[in-house]
Amino acid sequence: MKKVIMPFLMVLLLAIIPFVGVAWARLDYLFGVILPYTAMVVLIGGFLYRVVDWLRRPVPFRIPTTCGQEKSLDWIKQDKLESPSRAWHAAARVLSEVLFFRSLFRNTKAELHEGAHLAYGSTKWLWLGGLAFHWSMLLIVIRHARFFFIMVPGFVDFLTDADALFDVTLPAFYITDALVLAAITFLVLRRLKDAKLRMISLPTDYFPLFLLTAIVVAGILMRYVAKVNVMPVKDQMLRLLSFSFDAPGEIGVLFYVHLFLVCVLAIYFPFSKLMHAGAIFLSPTRNLCNNSREKRHVNPWNAPIKFKSYTEYENDYRDKMKKAGLPVEKQ
Amino acid sequence: MMKIKKQSVIFGGLILVLFAIGAFFLHQESHAGNPMPAPPLKTVAIDSTKCIAPTEYMRANHMRVLNEWRNSSVREGNRIHLAPNGSKFQKSLNTCLGCHGSNRLFCFNCHMYANVKPKCWNCHLSPMETP
Repeated sequence: MKKVIMPFLMVLLLAIIPFVGVAWARLDYLFGVILPYTAMVVLIGGFLYRVVDWLRRPVPFRIPTTCGQEKSLDWIKQDKLESPSRAWHAAARVLSEVLFFRSLFRNTKAELHEGAHLAYGSTKWLWLGGLAFHWSMLLIVIRHARFFFIMVPGFVDFLTDADALFDVTLPAFYITDALVLAAITFLVLRRLKDAKLRMISLPTDYFPLFLLTAIVVAGILMRYVAKVNVMPVKDQMLRLLSFSFDAPGEIGVLFYVHLFLVCVLAIYFPFSKLMHAGAIFLSPTRNLCNNSREKRHVNPWNAPIKFKSYTEYENDYRDKMKKAGLPVEKQ
Repeated sequence: MMKIKKQSVIFGGLILVLFAIGAFFLHQESHAGNPMPAPPLKTVAIDSTKCIAPTEYMRANHMRVLNEWRNSSVREGNRIHLAPNGSKFQKSLNTCLGCHGSNRLFCFNCHMYANVKPKCWNCHLSPMETP
């Protein structure tokens, strides 16, 4: 249980830091200007470093995980998604993974029933929970565009209106707010409920979940419960986007909690499992074509091998071969 | 024997349906000459000379005040807002706009800046639309 409680306490502590820092120590310049810039530099620099590092690793052989008919004779139907042979097949495969979590859809669960009866069944809950969480997250991030741009693109307005479809409460209740909370609760409980999952879960699995929950809760509180004046918030966001170092105006402390936790997330991102966001595109078991039979792939760092053809061999040993009575091609 | 039982069930059901229809019409009739009693309108004169709450509070919470005003005045007929200092205001957009309407962009400046589109002007005339 320690590995669950420790990250929880860490997130709690992190949430208290801006409270103390802004409400008592008046460090709103640190939390409103210096930290966001630092976090963005770390996020972008760190992300690029990790991705470039991965890109520089040689991938000499084709190692895609396949579960379909590979390209063969013309009259055998190829499964282009499961065993891609062209770049665009592989691209479609990666995108279906990124957008719809296709491989999670095949998630199965092994259960030991009475006696020695092992049964496998399909479990789509992780797929559904993950999909709900990630898509809600994406929509929430897109919705935040109204804090960062003077002229918000039309599709953002459209998505925001769609998100507030129910048009209940004031300000209008967003469906994704409820969805993201429900999904993240499920994702935490999923790890806690099953003994096997509890065993393999690490503090680094719980920490991002708790951190994201805290960010979402702070945001929801700001919108629906403890209102914050939006004007100085937007001023500050516009200043940050124009690389200004002016001091922020008078903003409610809850906003600094939200912002600080987002900064922590951004700094944590490149060093953690959250890098799956970039890694999914670079995963060789997903993004390679299964064309080992079509094309010869040579390992680039193989030591050069001195080959000896049969003609050369015969030239070297012709006399000895003749003496031993072995047949030779050239007399 | 079985047949009679079946028929009696069918006829019993039919009679029940007829009763239900009759009762519905009787109910309608009894209400026809007696319209819904209008709640007594509690209100005060519009007074736009004072602020109903401090500026700082209103900047973050004006939408709550307006929402509360709309719900209690429209649904409960209570049109009197009692400020913490004891003064009474009529729950009406005109109370706000009597003063704030002097700047036609009073609402729109910030709402456009923050890209927030309130539903007020779906029904009410905004200061931009009034001459």
